[in-house]
Amino acid sequence: MKDLRPWTHAALYGALWGALEATAGTALHLGRVPFRGEIMGLFGLVCLVCLRRLQPKVGVVLVAGSTAIFLKIFTLGGLYPGPLVGIGIQTLAVEFGFIVARGPWAAAIGGIIAFGTNPVQRVITAWIVSGTEAATAVLRAVGELGGIDPRLVLAGFVSLAASMGAVGGVWAWRLAGRVERRLRGGP
Amino acid sequence: MNQVLIAVFALVGAASFSSRIEVVAASAVVACGATWFVDRDALRRVLRVGLLLGLVFAAAAAGAAVAWASGLDRGLFIGATVLLRLVVLVTVAAVVARSVDAEGILAAMSRMGMERLGLVFGLALNCLPHLNETASTVWAAHRIRSGGRWAAIGRLPSLAEVLLAHTGRVADQAAAAAALRGHGALARPVTPLAPKVRTVVVTGSPGAGKTPLLESTADELRNRGFVVAGFLQPAIIENGAKIGFRIRDVASSEVRDLARRVAEGEGNFGTSFSFSEDGFELGRRALNSVPPGSILIIDELGPVELRGGGHWPAVDRALRSFDIAGLVVVVRRTLVPALVEALDAADVVVVDLEEVDGDAVTEVVEALRGEAPIRPSINAIVTDA
Repeated sequence: MKDLRPWTHAALYGALWGALEATAGTALHLGRVPFRGEIMGLFGLVCLVCLRRLQPKVGVVLVAGSTAIFLKIFTLGGLYPGPLVGIGIQTLAVEFGFIVARGPWAAAIGGIIAFGTNPVQRVITAWIVSGTEAATAVLRAVGELGGIDPRLVLAGFVSLAASMGAVGGVWAWRLAGRVERRLRGGP
Repeated sequence: MNQVLIAVFALVGAASFSSRIEVVAASAVVACGATWFVDRDALRRVLRVGLLLGLVFAAAAAGAAVAWASGLDRGLFIGATVLLRLVVLVTVAAVVARSVDAEGILAAMSRMGMERLGLVFGLALNCLPHLNETASTVWAAHRIRSGGRWAAIGRLPSLAEVLLAHTGRVADQAAAAAALRGHGALARPVTPLAPKVRTVVVTGSPGAGKTPLLESTADELRNRGFVVAGFLQPAIIENGAKIGFRIRDVASSEVRDLARRVAEGEGNFGTSFSFSEDGFELGRRALNSVPPGSILIIDELGPVELRGGGHWPAVDRALRSFDIAGLVVVVRRTLVPALVEALDAADVVVVDLEEVDGDAVTEVVEALRGEAPIRPSINAIVTDA
């Protein structure tokens, strides 16, 4: 990247994501707001998709994701594995989406992978922090309360989250278009 | 934080993942005790009611699930273990976050050959307070404009649009600022030109007549018996608007198109111009054979050159290869500090067209001969850099 703008855009959009994690993320986490992971994921998706639309360079999203992780660890005091793993997966998902597709499709693919892996990532984090017994018990409790197989419950959550990711990705792409027109003075 | 403490906290963190509650409890005691001695503020940060309630809630949820599945005793055991483990993790996180020096991280990244990424992190760190402040201001304005908090929440997409656009603008400004400073690591490294002869930097606002001045200066120098080499970049004007630049070899008078204005975002090198390789080729040829004792005229060096691109390599090669008598460089006013820094010349005079009282051509020629005064205001600009 000989042009400076992809680097500075990655820094700024990564910082914006980091700032949102620090403010809105902390507030949602402490308030135990339902779907806080998905809400924060949408913020991240919007930042990354907007960045990729303004600076269509391969790797720019990875730089922004690294920046957000850096800020999360060293300025916001977050060594909790969940958000860090979440940011990392989301970054890789969006970059992958824009490598295999273009336009809103790319954003949708990124959103599907990012959001779809969210429940799985949560189970893994719960497994790490609480141990296998607690994670299994939670899945079993959820499944038995509804009378459904726990694997189906997880699959249901994954499908729901992936659908939200697809819609969120397309919406983020359209929002990024409005931002682009605002910045470049187009119609 | 010294290496012994890092090792202690790493061990404590690892021990907290034991399945035996007494090991986890011991690691919690060690973590809190060590933090009390090392960084009491970090411990106070952990012992906030909100955070502790969050930890208790998470542990209770895990304990309740296990109690439901395997009985109350097992549930209590798992709940207590998870709570203690979370206390250890949060304590270690607080100490690490307060102890790790971001500057040290940047230096380490530099040593690993990832200086650009280090600078990106540095820029993000510097911009973080600004973005936080902007987010608050934008939210306040959005709330007033929407007529209340709930209406504002309903119009969140427009708030996001404003905030994202603002972030994009700041990123553009940061890129421009890095270019102005000739930032060697974010941009391509710039080799200082280090001319050994007197260098006259001609500057002025856009449209002040820098190129016509250089044309007249070249004629005057020829009249005085000097050989003049280099290139001029006259503007291409259509319907009163500047739509691009041509490049003209001062010695041969050969002319080529150099740049044309294009739609925003479609230009080269992060500019709004599309550059022609033919134009650069003529520039290289103009600087390829410079007779000894010539006055070299470079019109002009812009942000692209200050990032090490455009004409910069050809100018650098010419200054190293030929024995010239003087150098005249045109640069826009805002780039004077960056150019002076990148020149790294021992003898520089800056001539600002808007501050010249008499004949500007005479001023440039006298500056080349070492007879022109150095103007205080320009000195101030250079010092500010």
